[in-house]
Amino acid sequence: MHIIFDKAELRFGERVALHPLSLQLSEPRIGVIGLNGSGKTSFARLVNGLVKPTSGRVTLDGMDTVADAKAVLAATGFIFQNPANQIILPLIRDDIAMGPKARGLKGKALDEAVEAVMDRFAIAELAERRPHELSGGQLQLAALAAVVVTEPKLILFDEPTNQLDLKNRALVRRAIDGLEQQAIVISHDLDLVSGFGRVLVFHEGRLAFDGDGAEAIARYRETAAC
Amino acid sequence: MLTSLYVEGTSFLHRMSVRAKLAGLMIIGLALFLVANPVALGFALLVTATLYLRLGLGVGEAFRRLRPVLITIAFFGLVNVVVLSPHEALTSTLRLLAILFLAASVTATTTIADFIDTITALLVPLERLGLMKAADGGLAFGLVLRFVPDIALRYAVLKEAHAARGLTLKPQTILGPLIISTLKEADSIAEAIDARGIRGQ
Repeated sequence: MHIIFDKAELRFGERVALHPLSLQLSEPRIGVIGLNGSGKTSFARLVNGLVKPTSGRVTLDGMDTVADAKAVLAATGFIFQNPANQIILPLIRDDIAMGPKARGLKGKALDEAVEAVMDRFAIAELAERRPHELSGGQLQLAALAAVVVTEPKLILFDEPTNQLDLKNRALVRRAIDGLEQQAIVISHDLDLVSGFGRVLVFHEGRLAFDGDGAEAIARYRETAAC
Repeated sequence: MLTSLYVEGTSFLHRMSVRAKLAGLMIIGLALFLVANPVALGFALLVTATLYLRLGLGVGEAFRRLRPVLITIAFFGLVNVVVLSPHEALTSTLRLLAILFLAASVTATTTIADFIDTITALLVPLERLGLMKAADGGLAFGLVLRFVPDIALRYAVLKEAHAARGLTLKPQTILGPLIISTLKEADSIAEAIDARGIRGQ
């Protein structure tokens, strides 16, 4: 998708979460890094319209995140920092089925779509399990399956490897690498975004650097050391 | 931590359709309000309690999940003894207990997804009249059921936190954090519902 930030700003009262930002993004893999509170999550939430810009506008393939909010949400998926918060129903299979069911899929077609996505992420054996029985990596995969099954064009990840051990990090990394969809990944896990063609560095609510992974990480390290 | 009131099983109630269970609950619930004989109500209570206890929950867990409601019913029973009469207090308490065990049996044998589907289908006529979105009504109902065990779990965590710090459990120290953490989770869920495009399709 072609994402355009046109002087988009986000404020919460007097506090500026993101200063006016103008940029265009269309790369298949985009990383977003920065210190805590630097504006990364605000940026991601502006992309899929979960929050509306206080001023300026954000568009995805020409769809405005305010005027065309439903279409934008349908075209995007969001993996939250804590995947347990986005799993709504107690059984993984039921939860994965929620999205396509809300879009009118039912019966055999619905079952097939759910089976296919669980097979794709190798979580078929988790179908009847409950979220609290899963490891962090399995939870991320279940959340990702619930998003991918609705066939979005763009998936946003908010710190997908946060609090995961090395094995689960590798699991999630492989899953992200294997996606056909465009992905925007916010992360403190620099290894995860190091190979991305484009990485944005945020600092104190502003875009501090915009370039390839290696350069961006070097700049981020400099910023963090100050 | 997301848990569920649903208990896996193959009992008669598990196999029964959700519509039949809800209709049965409504009819039996209403019928019990027409009965004032304590012996008949006691028998109804015995039947529904047996039904509930045979779902495979275990007696401890079966009573633990109903404890807040049982305490409430006991409280109103005692109030009724004072403001009404012992006979009326007994009949109303037996009636409420019988309905409680039956409702708990329906909840324990029905997945939230099945509840949502059925309630959504039942609300379609209201959608046709332009009064509401059936899917949103079904989802709201499912979310209520989803939050019940979550709130109980949060209470248990806060209770442990009090114990770990050697604090006595007091309503004023537990209600605030309980309400705040529940509202915070409700916000997260609402955001996830919007992000996943589940509401108002």
